[in-house]
Amino acid sequence: MLSIKNLHASVEGKEILKGINLEIKAGEVHAIMGPNGSGKSTLSQVLAGNDAFEVTEGEVTLNGENLLELETEERARDGIFLAFQYPVEIPGVSNLQFLRTAVNAMRKHKGEAEMNAAEFMKLAKEVSKQVDLDPAFLKRGVNEGFSGGEKKRNEIMQALMLQPKLAILDETDSGLDIDALKVVSDGVNALRSDDRAILMVTHYQRLLNHIVPDYVHVLAGGRIIKSGGRELALELEEKGYGWLGIKDDDASN
Amino acid sequence: MKSVPMLSSAFLHPAGHSLPEPLLALRKERASALVDMPLPTRKTENWKYSSKYLKLADDMAISLPAEGKTGNSLAVPGYKVVFLNGVMIPEASEYPDLDGIQITSFNDLDADEANALAARLGHTLDHAQAQFARLNGARFEDGLLVRLKAGAVLDQPLFIIHETSADASGSAYPRIFVEAGANSQLTLVEEYTSTGQASALISTVTEFSLAEGANVTSVRLNMEGENVQHIGATGVRQQRSSRFESHCVGFGGPLRRHDLQVRLEGEGAETKLNGVVVTQGKQHYDNHTSIDHVAAHCNSEETYRNIAADQSHAVFNGRIHIHQDAQKSNADMNNKNLLLSNGAEIDTKPELEIYADDVKCAHGATIGQLDETSVFYLVSRGIDRRQANVLLTMAFINELVEQIPVAVVRETAQARLSDFFEQTFREA
Ligand SMILES: Nc1ncnc2c1ncn2[C@@H]1O[C@H](COP(=O)(O)OP(=O)(O)OP(=O)(O)O)[C@@H](O)[C@H]1O
Ligand SMILES: [Mg+2]
Repeated sequence: MLSIKNLHASVEGKEILKGINLEIKAGEVHAIMGPNGSGKSTLSQVLAGNDAFEVTEGEVTLNGENLLELETEERARDGIFLAFQYPVEIPGVSNLQFLRTAVNAMRKHKGEAEMNAAEFMKLAKEVSKQVDLDPAFLKRGVNEGFSGGEKKRNEIMQALMLQPKLAILDETDSGLDIDALKVVSDGVNALRSDDRAILMVTHYQRLLNHIVPDYVHVLAGGRIIKSGGRELALELEEKGYGWLGIKDDDASN
Repeated sequence: MKSVPMLSSAFLHPAGHSLPEPLLALRKERASALVDMPLPTRKTENWKYSSKYLKLADDMAISLPAEGKTGNSLAVPGYKVVFLNGVMIPEASEYPDLDGIQITSFNDLDADEANALAARLGHTLDHAQAQFARLNGARFEDGLLVRLKAGAVLDQPLFIIHETSADASGSAYPRIFVEAGANSQLTLVEEYTSTGQASALISTVTEFSLAEGANVTSVRLNMEGENVQHIGATGVRQQRSSRFESHCVGFGGPLRRHDLQVRLEGEGAETKLNGVVVTQGKQHYDNHTSIDHVAAHCNSEETYRNIAADQSHAVFNGRIHIHQDAQKSNADMNNKNLLLSNGAEIDTKPELEIYADDVKCAHGATIGQLDETSVFYLVSRGIDRRQANVLLTMAFINELVEQIPVAVVRETAQARLSDFFEQTFREA
């Protein structure tokens, strides 16, 4: 589904990603772990098409199509979804308006009719219950005044509404209490299917108890330095990154 | 040495002589005071950013005829008065006789009423700052007097539709005088629209006099065409414990100017001024507001937002004057501006004059662009960039638009604004 070859990217002239290689097949769940500043969010943002980051080398294809040539909105319509590490607050645009515009943009792309207000409301209410958000939040500004945990649940709500092919979850588990972690994991598990893939960035192996990954990768200094199965996360938790020979000043760039 | 440009004498000959004698006399006196009135230049402090947009040709001095069809306006749920080129059109107006409430065209006032009005007309305004209100005073051909007796409550909004019909060049001078008695209540909506393509000047004056405890809400929608230069002034005087609320929504034009002057003269008076301006193309809009805290214990809260696209130009000048005896004044002024292109210009200036020592006065002004992170967030959900821009631009002013109290006006404003932004962000 997703194929990343020798991806290099920089921001403000500084190289952050230094040759990433990663293959993700439909149905798989991949976890990326790694020290702070190692480039995990950069990779996520580059895949979603944030042009604050410049791709200097390498290629990325989604189902054979050159992803890097597409605009962000085209990538989204082709099925890429990024749950942001820091979801953006947009006062003045209601969640309802935002979600409906997004859902209808996707439907239009697929040649489907737009959802009317009533249909949409019904769906939105159902999904908000699924992620344990009070439907009253739909009237509020996008993420406006949301707690950290509510923002993360809202990201998952959006994923559930938009039904992406590849969901990239950037630390969607951070800052969640135990119950919220369960809600979010259930949401992510509901997304799992044979024709979808999930790439999740996390610092905590506890998430991986809920969402069991097929592969775990360690990203350090802008490169994937180790890949393995589920057990790699446990080993990392026990031994720390030092075990992989990462010195503190290598960890970031 | 270059001579100062003067108002052409062509502008000093009012038409329309059906006004009651006291008002005709007043008009004549004001016209004679306008001989040698200098026109603002860029050296005129309160017009320095806008004088270049003012283009008065002699053929615009002619009064636009008050005949022809009306109808290019809101379908209103409340009471309605229609003015065409500054003259009230009774056939198009609809409002019942209401207890304690007088709604009368200047032309229909009896001698006593006209005398009383002539003594007060213009008393809410500082004409040195609103120079063109003087021109209106010399040229008005009609006007609307709205008087609420003590305790009277207008149960529905009163819409005053000012239509400018300019098939040939000319000008119009609509005028409104509102006298809100003690504890009376009124919501008044002024809508300015136009038809025709010839260059026209509209010089308006609206005055509100609020007695003790009166509660007045004013909504002003400025939606005239590209051929109309609009110079308006609104004056407000507030007595003890009265409350005034203003919502102005303005779309740019070749010249748009609104002066809003509020005097808080009785303790406990409150005023809230909201304003939204959008400009595109080569349009212009200039809001000059002025709040005088004359009495103690008054509150003022002012929030203006400008959005300028393309090569357009928006101006906000917010003056707050806290007089020496106005202790415990609370004044809060906020102006936020959004520039949608590098070619657009926004000038914002707070002017604070504080002569009392025990006051709270806060002010803030910012000029920014659309937030790239927010745009990215929206497009990452599949929303097109153009629509993301429209959503975020609307978001910048939604908070103010949502406060407009009359649903039909709010919805009209919303629809007009979103059309405007759709056009601003049209595919290149
Ligand atoms: N817009 C930017 N401008 C400058 N530097 C940036 C920018 N964005 C990211 N960086 C730098 O790139 C490096 C990688 O950041 P990134 O956010 O990808 O790390 P991360 O692995 O997600 O870390 P964390 O675990 O803390 O979330 C850091 O050194 C960061 O400071
Ligand atoms: Mg990160």
